[in-house]
Amino acid sequence: MKKITIIFRRAPHGTAQGREALDLALLSASFEQEVSLIFMDEGVLNLLPKQKPEQAGAKDYIATFGALSLYDIDTVLVCSDSLAQFGLSEAELTIALTIADTQTISDHIQLADEVLVF
Amino acid sequence: MSKFIIQVNGAAYASSASYNAYLFAKSALEMGHEIIRIFFYQDGVYNTNTFNSPASDEYDITQAWRSLATEYDLQLVNCVSAALRRGIISETEANESQLSHWNMQAPFIMGGLGELVTGIEKADRVVSF
Repeated sequence: MKKITIIFRRAPHGTAQGREALDLALLSASFEQEVSLIFMDEGVLNLLPKQKPEQAGAKDYIATFGALSLYDIDTVLVCSDSLAQFGLSEAELTIALTIADTQTISDHIQLADEVLVF
Repeated sequence: MSKFIIQVNGAAYASSASYNAYLFAKSALEMGHEIIRIFFYQDGVYNTNTFNSPASDEYDITQAWRSLATEYDLQLVNCVSAALRRGIISETEANESQLSHWNMQAPFIMGGLGELVTGIEKADRVVSF
């Protein structure tokens, strides 16, 4: 088992990055890896509610974030600076997660065996 | 010596990612390191399109991967779902979908994301491009 950290850095729907990052996260977890997620930069926009991806011709993978705990993905960090940049507060986010400052994120990355950035 | 797994996410010719991945892989192998497999994900699956036809004075990345695979008995694995949604299909999928053409063939093979994850588990390091 390895500690795999997947970082979401891109806004959803404009590219397939977020969707394919989530696919990898769930698959890794189902292969018994210890998976954690970090949302930062435009990646925090994945966490907003009421998205209508079909209108952009994209699959609604956003709803699947709700299933993370079923896959035992319990460590989900979101960058506080990135939230502030987009004027977002924790109350607006769709899933339970931990607001983390850059030092906490840096410390977490240090503990990971592998870090994959999308 | 280290064991690597290499993930290629960048499309052929759209970015330098795949060429950098190729150079890294080649250098690592020449230095005696082991590469468990090259895993093509996201737009990286475009590297495996048999129909890639660059001009004769341009670098042929698909052929470069083929040659490297032959020389070092290297596994070149596409993420099948990433490939299918981008129109990269093998003869098997073409037959299943009753299509008359396909654009991926050996030494490239289709696999699942699981092959990336099991590769990561066995490797000392995954390197993404």
